[in-house]
Amino acid sequence: MAPRWKGKDAKSKKDAEAEALKEPMSKIISQLQSSFVQSNTCGFLSDNCVHLAVQGEQLDLLDKACFGRPVRIVEKDMYWFQLTLEEAFYLCYFLKCLEINGRADDSPLSNEELWRYFKSKKEAFPCFYKAYSHLRIKNWVVRSGAQYGVDFIVYRHHPALVHSEYGVLVLSHDNDADLNGRLSVWSDVHCSTRLLGSVAKTLLVLYINKNGQNDESPLCLANYTIEERTISRWSPEQCRESSVLTFLDL
Amino acid sequence: MEGKVWGYSSNEDNDDVDEVYLQNASDDEEDLHSTSSSLPKLQFRNVKSKCRWNEEMGMAEVIEKNGKMWVSTGIVRSGKIYTSIEETLYLMELGALHLVDNEDRSISLIEMYKKVAGGKYGCCWELFEAYRHLKSLGYIIGRHDVAWSLKSIRSSQKPVAVEGAEESNQQVDTSSKVELSISKLFGELKINDLKPDFDIYLPDSRFRKSSPGDPNFLLYLSRGHLPSRAEIEVLEKQCEGIPLKVCLVTEGRVSFFSFDKVELPILP
Repeated sequence: MAPRWKGKDAKSKKDAEAEALKEPMSKIISQLQSSFVQSNTCGFLSDNCVHLAVQGEQLDLLDKACFGRPVRIVEKDMYWFQLTLEEAFYLCYFLKCLEINGRADDSPLSNEELWRYFKSKKEAFPCFYKAYSHLRIKNWVVRSGAQYGVDFIVYRHHPALVHSEYGVLVLSHDNDADLNGRLSVWSDVHCSTRLLGSVAKTLLVLYINKNGQNDESPLCLANYTIEERTISRWSPEQCRESSVLTFLDL
Repeated sequence: MEGKVWGYSSNEDNDDVDEVYLQNASDDEEDLHSTSSSLPKLQFRNVKSKCRWNEEMGMAEVIEKNGKMWVSTGIVRSGKIYTSIEETLYLMELGALHLVDNEDRSISLIEMYKKVAGGKYGCCWELFEAYRHLKSLGYIIGRHDVAWSLKSIRSSQKPVAVEGAEESNQQVDTSSKVELSISKLFGELKINDLKPDFDIYLPDSRFRKSSPGDPNFLLYLSRGHLPSRAEIEVLEKQCEGIPLKVCLVTEGRVSFFSFDKVELPILP
């Protein structure tokens, strides 16, 4: 599928594409990384998510890089911001630009402690985080897919510039029980492909292979592998029409 | 991104509102037409072909050939054309084929439907429905790994289920050797064999059985359950790089899915 840039006409779509090209996501993220490191940004554990107070440049960068969402404005120009577990861990563990407090003495939690805490909140966290980071490392923007009945939806750049092309489901490579048995029967496939198809997205499944690792520590992530597959309906009527045309061209 | 409007979460919601892409709309229209009141009528062609059903082979032998469809129907062995049960039944439904038995007695459509239902000749009802759906759209369909003709084997080098094909000087018993090996494939349909069912070619008037080339894709009929990732992998290993499609037939509705391996590009 070709990327679908946003805009009311062909020219504005081209402008959106140009804007994305001018400032690639990798550049935005490294800006975010340095800004957060410099200001020693700190977040707080809040049950099933992570919160932080942000303002100014950091607020802007979080928006541009598509991490989290603003909850509400708490003071002039200062927002209470919410990150998902995967987003928070990515900022802490991979980008190493965020620390998270959760203790009485306000000292930051180690990556190991965060890992165990997030796992306790979400059994499938190791697989979900692997999927999230796999896509983010390739510079795709990864957001929640709940409204489409999937785990994530991914964009080539900021959602203001481009429509998302894929709805992502995170499944186990070998039918482990921890991924909630999604896509287990044909009607699931019909359902997901039809829903995603109606909003011009393709179903992308990431099969996570733990390769026998136990997931006690985030170090196991290095040995996880991912197989990407798209699941899509094929229409023999449409396919034939285009091949008949090719034949007529000769 | 100076002056960007806040609330990018609403930008994401725009995917719904902005463009509802009615990719599946044509499928809904198909539904309207496929009610029980619109079954295809009994058809009669003016000039029929004639075949003799061979019970041991599980195939029909062409005795009188009429019409252009023989370019892409039936396999050629020793100068004769043989049709699988699905090919035979399809042509009978079109009214293009008169089928007889060894005593020249006519075999009826009902008898053939019963044969297909029994699953004895390498085909079952759902597989026939899938065959019919694609064939009526002009696709060229053969049983997986069954050579269209012996000439095609010599040109393709691929291992195919016909022993004795290469020894053209061995006139003796060649045809019976061929028949025996074919009967393995046109015999009992084993439910649990995980292998592609059909080789499919896009509609093409230039198709030749002597050199068909690689199929455009291979088709596997899903039997009962959604194939797991591991099962798709087993099937793909037998496809030698040719795309695989999985077909599902439920209550006469035929749908096709691809489970292609991909790799999302690394973006700038």
